[in-house]
Amino acid sequence: MLKRVLRASVSFLLVLALAGLFSHSFFIVRGVDEASSSVGEADVAVRQAFNATLDAERAGANVSGLILRLNEAGGILAEAEIALGNGNSSEAASKAGQCIGIAQSVKSDADVLKASALDEAQTVFWASLTFSVVSITAFAVVLMLVWRWFKRGYVRKMLGMKPEVASDEA
Amino acid sequence: MKLEDYKIVFAAVGLIGVLILASPTLGLVLHLPGGEKFSALWVLGPGHMAEDYPFNVTAGVSYLVYVGVGNHMGSSTYYVVYVKFRNETEPLPNVTTGAPSVLAPLYEYRMFLEDNSSSEVPLTFSFSNVSSVGGQSTVGNLAINGVPFGVDKSVSWDAENSGYFYQLFMELWIYDPASDGFSFHNRFVSRWLNMTASV
Repeated sequence: MLKRVLRASVSFLLVLALAGLFSHSFFIVRGVDEASSSVGEADVAVRQAFNATLDAERAGANVSGLILRLNEAGGILAEAEIALGNGNSSEAASKAGQCIGIAQSVKSDADVLKASALDEAQTVFWASLTFSVVSITAFAVVLMLVWRWFKRGYVRKMLGMKPEVASDEA
Repeated sequence: MKLEDYKIVFAAVGLIGVLILASPTLGLVLHLPGGEKFSALWVLGPGHMAEDYPFNVTAGVSYLVYVGVGNHMGSSTYYVVYVKFRNETEPLPNVTTGAPSVLAPLYEYRMFLEDNSSSEVPLTFSFSNVSSVGGQSTVGNLAINGVPFGVDKSVSWDAENSGYFYQLFMELWIYDPASDGFSFHNRFVSRWLNMTASV
């Protein structure tokens, strides 16, 4: 009876130890997977923030401030990648989280900047188009009037001329 | 001058005037092609000059170089610089085929640069677990900017140049928004390091 209890206890302890061992490996693998996916998300967030910044720049916005913050996010992302490569999952996940926060704020600021730059560009375009159309019309009218005045004067001058008789005899 | 000649003069003046007055709008609509697009990658010594590069290196001593990137691509650009370490038998990037080195990067820098701007970042490195047995040198660890990496590289004694030569090199990668991916930008810089002093 005592032997049976002892055997059961040992078996139970063995099962417990094995379960502990597997759960430890399971949690380590899960930690690495989570850190890897966080770093992947940070990478995507930084790319999206950069694409939004590029769009804002193409729309004519000044993106110097955004580029500074992107460099901050990029530095943290590089640290996260290096930490992940060195097996430091918790640091990698923490850095990835920081990076995502900065990248998302850059992206939303870039979208706002782009919208305001597009508005401004549209205003400038319509102002310059109005200036060009009005000034070209005025210039054409003035040029036409000057031409008519000049033509009239030229014809009058021609009509007022007396014919000259010339001889080609030497 | 005949009246027809004056007419041509007036037409020319009119055309020039119209072009001048339309130039503010044309400037917004027409985009002329810019100059040549390129990026630059360089490595400088500890004084930000192309001199005093670390060459004879020893274990336990920290060395400093600066890695610089210049952007002339016509718009803001996202770069990654990968730092790699090799012995004489391992491959460098192939600039003819545009292929990067197959070695895994140890360290990386991520940089965002506006057009016509550049950036220089410090790269400190030190070696540990260095040994030399029977004409063979082995480097166990390389720390870059304080981050340790196990490298385990070995080289044979180079009798011609009298030293154990390793190479630290940096590859430039560029982000392409169209494909949403990075590609090797076909630029790399390297420094030979002679480990003789530490043996």
